[in-house]
Amino acid sequence: MVESKQQWKAWLYLAPAILLLLVFTVWPIINTVSMAFQEDYCAQRALMGETYEIGIENFKKVLDYGNFVDYLTNTMILCVATVPISTILALLIAVALNSIKTLQKGLQTIFFLPYVTNSIAIGMVFAAMFNVIGFRKAGGEALADSWGIINNVIMFFGGKPVDWIGANSSLAANRFVVMVYSVWNALPFKILILLGGLQSINKQYYDAARVDGTPRARVLTKITIPLLSPMLAYVVITGFIGGFKEYSSIVGIFGDTMGPNDMNTMVGYIYKALSTQKQGAASAAALILFGIILVVTLINLRVSKKRVHY
Amino acid sequence: MADKNMTTMSDRNLQSITTSQRVKSILGKAGIYLFLGIMALIVLFPFYWMIISSLKNLSEYRKAIPTFWPHEIQWINYVNAFNTANLGRLFLNTLYVGVVSTILSVIITVITAFAFARLEFKGKELLFAMLLATMMIPGELFTITNYITVVNWLEWGNTFTALIVPFLVSVFYIYLLRQNFLQIPNELYLAAKVDGTSDIKYLWKVMVPLALPTLISITILKMMGAWNTYIWPKLVTTDKEYELITNGLRNAFTDTSGQADIPKQMAAVAIVSAPLFLVFLFLRKYIMAGVSRSGIKG
Amino acid sequence: MKVVLQNLTKVFPSRDKKSGKEVVAVNDFTFEIPDGKLIGLLGPSGCGKSTTLYMISGLQKPTSGKIFFGDDDVTELSTENRGIGLVFQNYALYPHMTVKQNILFPLQNLKGKDKMTKDEMLERAYYAAKLVQIDELMDRKPSELSGGQQQRVAIARALVKMPRVLLLDEPLSNLDARLRLQTREEIRRIQKETGITTVFVTHDQEEAMSISDMIVVMKLGVLQQIGKPQEVYDNPQNLFVAKFLGTPPINVFNGQVANGKLILGENAVLDVPGVADQNVIVGIRPEGFEVDPAGTLECQLTNLEVMGRDVSVVSTHVASQNPLVRSIVDADNKIDLSAQTIRFSLKPHKVFLFNAETEERIYF
Repeated sequence: MVESKQQWKAWLYLAPAILLLLVFTVWPIINTVSMAFQEDYCAQRALMGETYEIGIENFKKVLDYGNFVDYLTNTMILCVATVPISTILALLIAVALNSIKTLQKGLQTIFFLPYVTNSIAIGMVFAAMFNVIGFRKAGGEALADSWGIINNVIMFFGGKPVDWIGANSSLAANRFVVMVYSVWNALPFKILILLGGLQSINKQYYDAARVDGTPRARVLTKITIPLLSPMLAYVVITGFIGGFKEYSSIVGIFGDTMGPNDMNTMVGYIYKALSTQKQGAASAAALILFGIILVVTLINLRVSKKRVHY
Repeated sequence: MADKNMTTMSDRNLQSITTSQRVKSILGKAGIYLFLGIMALIVLFPFYWMIISSLKNLSEYRKAIPTFWPHEIQWINYVNAFNTANLGRLFLNTLYVGVVSTILSVIITVITAFAFARLEFKGKELLFAMLLATMMIPGELFTITNYITVVNWLEWGNTFTALIVPFLVSVFYIYLLRQNFLQIPNELYLAAKVDGTSDIKYLWKVMVPLALPTLISITILKMMGAWNTYIWPKLVTTDKEYELITNGLRNAFTDTSGQADIPKQMAAVAIVSAPLFLVFLFLRKYIMAGVSRSGIKG
Repeated sequence: MKVVLQNLTKVFPSRDKKSGKEVVAVNDFTFEIPDGKLIGLLGPSGCGKSTTLYMISGLQKPTSGKIFFGDDDVTELSTENRGIGLVFQNYALYPHMTVKQNILFPLQNLKGKDKMTKDEMLERAYYAAKLVQIDELMDRKPSELSGGQQQRVAIARALVKMPRVLLLDEPLSNLDARLRLQTREEIRRIQKETGITTVFVTHDQEEAMSISDMIVVMKLGVLQQIGKPQEVYDNPQNLFVAKFLGTPPINVFNGQVANGKLILGENAVLDVPGVADQNVIVGIRPEGFEVDPAGTLECQLTNLEVMGRDVSVVSTHVASQNPLVRSIVDADNKIDLSAQTIRFSLKPHKVFLFNAETEERIYF
């Protein structure tokens, strides 16, 4: 009797969550897959009774559509560049933080700060830092020229200023800015996870290494990195997943127009298709994104299985 | 084999070893602090630049040789920014959406996690596994259909409901809280049953206090999520009346070129960032604990 | 290599900031470890024995005092320059490396004139592995080894660079009882074969007594007594040492000395010539009792535990500090359990008197 009472009670407690999940999680999975396989599916017209041919046309169209491939390349380049850079930097910072006592807490807080920010808002700050300011209006008010603080720094060290994000900027320059922002954005999470991992490594391994006079670099490569490998694999995988879903940081820097060179990414493509009522194409693109993330994750897991210890 | 090494120490000059090891260790420490210091400056620089830019007047901001502290502090930028972006309205909207969705979400998370942690019912393990499996699917995949559901079927376009309801259930938070609940011994629950305590009372008096740190983490992350969300509100709301802070900020300052009034933009950015920093300052422990277990932003 | 500790002191700042009290882990410690001997640092937990070991290793710096290896003052020398081998309580084997890689690791760190070729290193590693009899397991990972095997790998890793001093921190505490016996013989054998001055830390007096050339008994950071195990056992300098050594533990009584006689309860039990009249604490080793119907000490008989060769007689006595008095006598003694009482005579050299206040030994 008690059991049957527990049964209906349990389902009562679960009801809100299950109802919401059915509508906003389970149904979308089914529907998105089905839309992806209906040629040129459009939700508005579907409501009015329009039917569509079943097939893989949507996928073909998405892939044939030149911009999508550009966006894909764009996303890939961002991922491949930023994930290793941010992981290595985060590792070095975490190891350094772990080796000090004075100021450790304070520095740790500073390094976590970028996490608690609004990516659109701070994107605007990065845009401001990279911007080339001011042009001379013929006969108009005299505005001082500035190359922007980043160019100022480059010029201070004897380099040449670059038009980073302006109307005539190059795609490479745009990408560089997004990469810098992505690395800056990705550091706090990685540092947090890696530092947590470092702190859980038994101190005796380091005492043992000290007794044997192991040089710092060798401790890092032979002891710390192998023992930290599960955490490293974790931040790399989540880094790739996050990288493939990059979108709002680019909006933060360039605005909705995605800059002079159309710096859009795959997620951006999906939303663009969605807001123009091309749900079929959006669904196909989302499935492709899902597939890519799945493959990248599997590859990562495969590689880490060989490299990760335990 | 010991005697082979007996001589080695007297060969070396003890004094010089001692000195060199001390120099090495000081240099090493100095190097570490130098590295951390430089990295910390790089990490902090955007915040510094945001604040000083927001306090400069336009012509000072545009000087060829940048100034690192404003000549004349321009608080007026903040007033202008607040009015231009209608930040007051945006704050209230975001606060409303954040508070309502956080409260509802926490309630749902608590009772669901409780059911999974404490009650026995058929298919519990299977259901939980299915729940976890949905975490692997990227959110974009849901968004497409949810957009159709919310706008075309439920006709919630331009309502706060559309901003709140679809995101009330977070599988990850349920998972997190269930793990936390499981650590509380079941005997406590059985004892409460014997005393005739109702489930709700037990939840409120025993489980919730014990799982409080996790609940606080969830609450903060959920609030931060509302503060930072951009894509979904942009899709389902076009009416300014329902605009949230991030969208409002982006829409109010569409011009990111050098010609824009950057000090005013930076003032707006600073206003939007301030609550996040304040929350972080006071609840750092919970945020960092929550994030290290979740790895999701918001 | 002899090791000399001179006025060694280690003070830890207090963990509790409010009280601000410092903790003196090791207090003014002076002793000399002769070359090529096996020394046991012995004491209950918190007595500073591990701290002493870590100061010898260089992993912890003394607050004051000096450490010498031979004639070299190594106090300021950092651990890697001291030429020591250290075996950690939990072994600290690198879990991601095979046994071979673990043993090779210290050799690969050597620089300058000590640098070795790969073949030399392998030869050395196999020599060390053979010494501890794990040369069959070289390609396994630590997680695939038993506790005893891991222990041997840890010793091999510490020995492979031929340290001047070998230090072992509670080397047997993670092994089960059977392995413990076997491993401690093993440590003794390895130490004898290599002739390396070896210091090990333990809280188990039996372990320390059975294999050490010398034992050092410590309590709350203060050195209590140093000597050969049997000497310390036979001649404890204070009540703590007497109580700490020996299984079953020593029996402790409250007694008085009057007119050169030791009085327990109401009866004089032993002649103690030359001791002034005073209250004393009396320690009697379990083997210090002899069943004797005409004996001076009368106890209330409680139980007999037969152990084959010996019999453990469990009894009570009014003056005993412990609820039970335990004495070990020859099994040939015919003891009638139905009798209410039993009489013992005492072996004077197994009876120790201690000052009731200072707990220092009173010799007679």
